[in-house]
Amino acid sequence: MSTTRKRVYGYLAEFKSASALYKAAEQVRDAGFRKWDCHSPYPIHGLDGAMGIKRSILPWFVFFGGMTGLATGFFLAYITQVQIYPTVVQSKPTNIFTVPAFFPPMFELTILFSGFTVLFGLLALIKLPRLNHPLFASRQFHRATDDAFFIAIEARDPKFSPDGTRSLLEEAGGSNIELIEEED
Amino acid sequence: MASHFVTSADIPADGERLQNATASKIKTVSGGLCALLSLVSAVLLFFAPESVKAPFAYSWLFAFFFFFTLAIGGIFWTLLHNVSNSGWGTAVRRVMENLGSVFPWICLFAIPLLCPAVQKYLYEWMNTHREAAAIDGISTFEANPKSLFGFYGSEAMKAWFYENHHALLKYKAWYMNLFAWYTRMIFYFVSMTLVIRGLRKLSVAQDTDPNPGTKRLFQARFHSTYTFILFAITITFAAFDLLMGLDFKWFSTMWGVYLFAGSALNSMAVIIITVALLHQAGYMKRVVSPEHFHIKGKLLLAFTIFWAYIAFSQFFLIWYANITEETSYFLIRNTGGWNTANIFLVFGHFVVPFVILLQAWLKRNPKMLSLMAVYMLVMHVVDLYIIVIPERSVSLMNMLPETFGHVTTAIPGAFWGDLLAFVTIGSGFVFFFLRALGSNNLYPNRDPRILESANVSN
Repeated sequence: MSTTRKRVYGYLAEFKSASALYKAAEQVRDAGFRKWDCHSPYPIHGLDGAMGIKRSILPWFVFFGGMTGLATGFFLAYITQVQIYPTVVQSKPTNIFTVPAFFPPMFELTILFSGFTVLFGLLALIKLPRLNHPLFASRQFHRATDDAFFIAIEARDPKFSPDGTRSLLEEAGGSNIELIEEED
Repeated sequence: MASHFVTSADIPADGERLQNATASKIKTVSGGLCALLSLVSAVLLFFAPESVKAPFAYSWLFAFFFFFTLAIGGIFWTLLHNVSNSGWGTAVRRVMENLGSVFPWICLFAIPLLCPAVQKYLYEWMNTHREAAAIDGISTFEANPKSLFGFYGSEAMKAWFYENHHALLKYKAWYMNLFAWYTRMIFYFVSMTLVIRGLRKLSVAQDTDPNPGTKRLFQARFHSTYTFILFAITITFAAFDLLMGLDFKWFSTMWGVYLFAGSALNSMAVIIITVALLHQAGYMKRVVSPEHFHIKGKLLLAFTIFWAYIAFSQFFLIWYANITEETSYFLIRNTGGWNTANIFLVFGHFVVPFVILLQAWLKRNPKMLSLMAVYMLVMHVVDLYIIVIPERSVSLMNMLPETFGHVTTAIPGAFWGDLLAFVTIGSGFVFFFLRALGSNNLYPNRDPRILESANVSN
């Protein structure tokens, strides 16, 4: 018998199909849970609505990331090509009206900075990378990438209760309900 | 949030038809207005003094091409919907088809542009060609039986162009000649009319089929493939023939794509407004949801970006290369007040709508999205105005110095002609579009994909 202390992570319940998962998600959403998630082998259209997930804040990060890229591209070209070392090509002016020539680097840096903000902003928001996850302790959970649909409700949700949450998952059609514990 | 799942029981077996008092009133009024103003316009185009009819020819071309892009854009979306095998848009496909079916009617307004009396103010190259044709010995078929219609491509004509300092016209004559020009006009009209009429007929026939299957769906998909090529040829070369030909010295290889970008963008705007109005009037409630507006809003945003990409690329290549024949276009359009209009277009047609349309909530709101669609149409008016009208004072100044020698970048008072032409063809567009919308079901209610479309989620 192990002597390490364990902490309850939450309940994991399996559902028969994508539509069963969808309907169960609506019930869990309506019960007012916040800290829970669905696991499916493939994306299910409209599941975010059924889970009541709000729109991500990521687009705003990307917008300002892109703006930073645009400004960087402009000032990089303007300061070097107009201010420090005016470059005259085909007797075109070296002033603010040279800006069409700077559009390609401005465009590219907008895309680059937006791309970086998407990648790193997303990783930060979903808290990746991480070394382990409590759900990996479950013996059935590996089927989430194969042929099973799961809902996991975390114990740190204020609505969580050992009996009430279990019966909610049962009523929603969940089977193989399992209490997941993580090592402290 | 979780909306009702639409099943076949929700969709009326005989579909929905537009039976709206306001719509029929607007149809009658716009039809009458169009008929009346067409008569006024005809007088102005053919019988008015030269100081009026010459500027009005440009007004007519501007107004015609504006509505031409909207109608042919309807054909584009129909073809794209069929050929991309898409399911989302089946609910709004009939609106696309009806918009496209306005095309043959809009082409009626091009008839003045086929008349030499109007052409002579617009297309200087035609005047030179007609002058050449009038010279004895090279104009008659008997003199040059080997050349087409006794004139085109003949050595005598080439020699005439050379002697009269029209070397450019000599080298461009294989494309820019009257016979080929009229042939192409007929080709545009006939090909696009057959395409949209055929596709709409196929689509409407499904509405009353007691055993609706997938046969017509596959047929429409098949026939949309090769006809897409005809569409691309039409929009590209119609833009060349009618707009680029205003200055025969000038050329831009991006011209066709540029006009196509504006066409696809703004016909999507018309589709959005139409569906939003129908939705508000209580039609299409069961098949059109915010998801459809979201998708159409995305397309509006995508084509706003595409338009800017093409417009900038065209400007950039010409600005960078700095070749005399090419820069004339932007020199004219960056002189005087036109420069302000052009800079306004950069912000008004791209920067502002781009930032606004980025927001997802706005695209899901039919009212807000329609407002943006109206805004895009206004910008398209400005865009086409800058394409056609700056050429007017330059050409007429050279062509008729005794009448227009005093004008600078714009002809005083000619703006009212622009407005008249726009209202004339615009009311015709509204009339024929409403007529098409009322003549069949508002959505393909027996299409195999109608439920897929009604329940779309993105």
